This record gives sequence, structure tokens and C-alpha cells, in this order.
Amino acid sequence: MLRYAGSRLIQAAIAIFGVLTIVFIVMHLSGDPTLLLVPQGASTQQINELRHQLGFDQPLWVQYVNYLKDLGHLDFGMSVVQHVPAAEIVASRLPYTMMLAAGALMVAIGIGIPVGIIMATGRGGWLEKVLAAIVLTGQSVPTFLSGILLIAVFAVNLRWLPTSGVGDIRALIMPSIALGAISMSTFARMTRIAVLDELSKDYVRAGRARGLSLGAVVFRHVLRNASIPVITIAALEIGNLLAGAVIVETVFAWPGIGQLAIQSIQSRDFLVVQVIVLLISCVYVLTSLLADFVYAAVDPRIRMVR
Amino acid sequence: MGEETTPLLTVDNLTIEIAGANVVDGVSFTVARGEVLALVGESGCGKSLTSYAMLGLLPPAARRIAGRILLEGTDLAAMSERQLRKARGKDISIIFQEPSASLDPLTTVGSQIASAFRQHHAVSGTEAFARARDMLVAVGIPDADHRLHQYPFELSGGMCQRIMIAIALICGPRVLVADEPTTALDVTIQAQILDLMKQLVATSGTSIVFITHDMGVVADIADHVAVMYAGRIAEIAPVRDLFARPAHPYTALLLASVPRLDITPKANLATIEGSVPFPNEFGYGCRFASRCPLATDRCRAEQPPLFEQGGGHRSACWHINRVHELKENAA
Ligand SMILES: Nc1ncnc2c1ncn2[C@@H]1O[C@H](COP(=O)(O)OP(=O)(O)OP(=O)(O)O)[C@@H](O)[C@H]1O
Ligand code: SF4
Ligand SMILES: [Mg+2]
Repeated sequence: MLRYAGSRLIQAAIAIFGVLTIVFIVMHLSGDPTLLLVPQGASTQQINELRHQLGFDQPLWVQYVNYLKDLGHLDFGMSVVQHVPAAEIVASRLPYTMMLAAGALMVAIGIGIPVGIIMATGRGGWLEKVLAAIVLTGQSVPTFLSGILLIAVFAVNLRWLPTSGVGDIRALIMPSIALGAISMSTFARMTRIAVLDELSKDYVRAGRARGLSLGAVVFRHVLRNASIPVITIAALEIGNLLAGAVIVETVFAWPGIGQLAIQSIQSRDFLVVQVIVLLISCVYVLTSLLADFVYAAVDPRIRMVR
Repeated sequence: MGEETTPLLTVDNLTIEIAGANVVDGVSFTVARGEVLALVGESGCGKSLTSYAMLGLLPPAARRIAGRILLEGTDLAAMSERQLRKARGKDISIIFQEPSASLDPLTTVGSQIASAFRQHHAVSGTEAFARARDMLVAVGIPDADHRLHQYPFELSGGMCQRIMIAIALICGPRVLVADEPTTALDVTIQAQILDLMKQLVATSGTSIVFITHDMGVVADIADHVAVMYAGRIAEIAPVRDLFARPAHPYTALLLASVPRLDITPKANLATIEGSVPFPNEFGYGCRFASRCPLATDRCRAEQPPLFEQGGGHRSACWHINRVHELKENAA
């Protein structure tokens, strides 16, 4: 177990280092970032001054070392637009995205997993057909469209929910559904496949042979075994949710980091964009690290061997 | 051989249909208390379906269209799923060919054995574990206290089959169905498991329906033998009778491929020329006709019933009196 944990931690550390490096390369790939930052019609002298001020006139490797050093001190630089630390701007928006992601995950997991289980165990019934239709809809309607449709129906026509913005908890409902819908379908499909796969295994028949009902076998044995592939999906989906948040936050005027990302790209506030990219990448790495530990907790074969 | 005593288990006219074909067709046999009945036959002849039907565990594709499964007079086939659940594991148990796959990989073997006991007994977890421990000792697993806390992947196939036997027997069932319990194991382990099963029958009086395609195993463990071919019983007899005087061409050819009885030969049922017909090619006559050296027009037109040979020996063949020719040819 210790070796397993150790190797996963080292892998995660390497992945994060890789992320930092790739972000650095991408940020410098497009040429001299100074040109993005100066106002139109700036003189060559102004450009050179700014370049020097930002350190972009130094050799690339020096810039890279400085970049890593700064990150090491948790110094993510200043927003060139607002002249406050970029990290502070992102931090002020982060709670909104976390709320939205939590709401979307509740929709995705809270609906997706039970639907997947029902679809796997109630094979052929009418309920499965209804659920399959819902899952198909969830997975084929793009997020921006489902967001707009939700607003049109529940906010504009029925007036049950606010159209957009931040208010009480009700304001979170539609964005969560819009963001969680595709994930919900993914969870439902993966859970269904995982449960069906487990149901075909010999231990299910053996469990019934000692007097358990099929339902009891499912609850005591099948679900735990089926959870292993679903955990993998969960780790990936959390990352996907953050990417989807960019669209949903824009549609619903939700002041999270997705909306901030769009605003910062438009205003060429590239250090803020960099913080957001680093943040989302680290969330990817850390959730998959977390998934590795959850596997080990569920499966003795992973915990005890290697 | 207690042929005259009332049977503990009677399977009567069991018929199972898959996609319009009777893959098990009118199968009948009886098993006396403490007796081992071997069910032999080539792959696909319906042995497993017969065994699953005995516990009401047929796969969704299969349907029992006729037949009774009488356990001391109670028809299991007429029971509701609820009643069956009370009988499974308590009155009648089953073990399968793949012992490692039959255990939940994420649960310790101790708690799997204990939960099999608690399924039919209202006892505390501690007490059920104590029972599980006793059962591990009974099935010959050394260091039981340690093994209880191990997971299936930490145990060998032979160990897992012992665990499955412990699970199957912990509630003291009257019948144990064993569907090729040793086929997946290597030869020495196979012999150990057979010895264990013989010993358990002797001490507990449990009857066994032992499914195999290995005539050597039959000779080793069975009291009676039912030979199946393409979903039907070809011949059924006390074991000595069957080996000494086979009354069905299929049995005779099977035995001809077994060199000697007393040296536990490894029989290979596939040495008979040709192959088992598919369920959609069964036709009206004897299902063995396409491979039988003695087949006549009558065989192809008319299905032979089981003819009584005396002493519980029955054979479904129109030309029983010519079967000895096959034996002589083989010798
Ligand atoms: N779930 C199923 N769906 C469709 N056909 C099946 C199913 N199970 C069994 N069959 C068919 O029923 C027939 C009998 O199968 P069964 O498994 O009982 O044979 P068997 O004698 O146990 O063979 P083996 O020695 O290979 O285990 C075969 O022709 C098989 O193809
Ligand atoms: S009935 Fe005919 S075909 Fe069938 S086993 Fe007997 S001799 Fe062979
Ligand atoms: Mg079988």
C-alpha cells in the first residue's frame, strides 16, 4: 500500500511539473507576449520598456527558471489590466465555480448513477426505454443550447427561476442542470455498462444460489465491483465540468472562473488566464490522484499487491 | 445401492427450451439419500442447464416448459421465487466450475461464508464467523483463522473450491449439485477435492448430483450414473453395471476410449467421431443416430424410450442387444 501511494504521489508531482512547463511553453509559443499587452499605436520605446519590465527580454531559460521560482513562492504575477495579484482575482471567483461544480456533480452523480443502475437491472422494461431517452437527450443537447432552453422555459415562460446571475440557492438550479446534463448521461451509461458487466459474472449466480435475491446481490456485491470503472469516469468528469463551466457561466452570467477566463482572454489579461489554466490542470491531476486512492480503498487487489 | 428406498431427490421429465429447441428433453433421474449420482456427457448436452434448473436458476434465455424437481416430495419447480430463495443454500446447494469467479473479489472469504450462514439463520455476526471458521476446518483448510480474513485473489483455485464447498454446505443442505467442480483444477488438486467430497458425503449424508465429462471421475465418485446425449438421458445405471455392461452405443464408445477403470484414466469424450447435433437439427429420431455405428432407419425415424434392463439399469436404444458388438470391436 505504501509503495502504491508513494508511486501515485510521485506520478502526480511529475504530472503537475509537466503542466507548469506546458503552460509556460504555450504562453511563449505565440511569440512575444509584450505585443499582446501594449495599447495600439504604442511607440517602440514604450514596447521595449514594458518588455524589460516584464522580463520578456531575457533568455527563455532564464524566464523559465524565474517562472518556476515565482510559482514556488506562490507568486502568480499581477493582472496587467486590474493591477492586483492575478491569484487574488481568480480566488475571488473560485467559490462561485465550486458551488456550480458541486451542483452539477450532484445532478450528474445523484441522477446518473441511479439511472444507470435501474437501466442495468430492469432490462427491457418500459422504464428503461424512458430513461434511455432521457440519457440520450442529456448527452446530445449541447450545453449552451440546454442552458438557453432552460432559461426560456423556466425563467421566461414559467417564471419559476431567475434568468441569470447570483441570488439565493434557486439561482444555482438551472446552471447546475445545464452543466451536469452531459455528465449525468456519461455516468448513467458507464454505470449501466459496469453493472451489466458485473451481473454477468459467476459470483452473481453463486450469490443467488445461496438464497440471496438478485437485488440483495446487487446491493451487497455488484455495486461495489461496478464502482471501480465509475470512479475513473468521475475523476475525468470533474475536469470536464470545469471546462463546461466556461460556457454555462457565460450563458447564465454566473461570476465564476469560467466567465473570468473569457473576460481575461478578451482583455488579454494573460497572467489571469495562466492562473486559471494552472488551476484547472491541477484539479485534473489531483482528482485522478484521489481516484487512485479511492480504488485502493475499494479493491484489495490494488491495495495489497504492489 | 439403495434402489428400493424412497429417493431423496426426483427429477421428473425436466424439459428446457431455448429459442424453440428442447435443449433438455424429458430428463428424469432419482438420487437416494447419501448417494452420488454422476451426470456425464459431452459439452453442450445440457448438464449445466439441468443443474441450474434444479435450483430455479436458469439463465433468462432458457425456459423450463415441463418437469418436476421433487425434494422429499416437495416440488421445487412449483415454488415461487420467494420460496425458492428459502430453499437455495439451505435445502439444495450448488457449486460451479470456476471457483475463483464464484466468489466476490472485494469481500473476504470469511465474511462470504458467514453471510451464507446468516442468510438462513438469525445469528450474530460473531457466531456466523465462528461457524465459518469451523466450516473451513471441515473442508480441510489449514490456518483457518488467517484464511478467514483473506480475499479470493490470495487463494489458489483449489482453496477457492474448498471455500465454495464450505459455503454450499454450511447450512447442511440435503442435496449438493456440483457442476464440474474439478474441471478447472489441476489433477492432484482435483483428486484432493474429490476425496474431500466423498468424505463429506460419508459424514453428513448429503446427496450429490455430480456433473462431469470425465469417466475417470465417474468411476471414482459415483454410485449411479446418468449418461446424457444432446439433452436426453441415453442410459442410466448403477456405476458398476454401467462400466461392466453398457447398454447404449454412446456409453460403449465412451468407455472404449477409457483404457482401464482402476487406474483413474483421463477419458476424452471427444474421441467419438462426428459431433453433437445443434439443437435445431435434433429431428424426430434418436439424437445419436448421426454418429452411431448401429443406426438404422428406425433410429432416424423414431425416438427410443428408456428400456428397463433390470436393477435400475435403463437405456434409450432400439438395438440394445447389439451394443456388445461395439465393445468387441474396440477390444
Ligand atoms: N444462456 C444461454 N443462452 C443460449 N443458449 C444456451 C445458454 N446456456 C446454454 N445454452 C445452450 O444450451 C445447451 C446446453 O448447454 P449446457 O450449458 O447445459 O451444456 P453442458 O452440458 O453444461 O456443457 P459443458 O460441458 O460445456 O458445460 C447448449 O447447446 C448451449 O449452447
Ligand atoms: S437408437 Fe439407434 S441410433 Fe440411437 S443409439 Fe440406439 S442404435 Fe444408435
Ligand atoms: Mg456446463
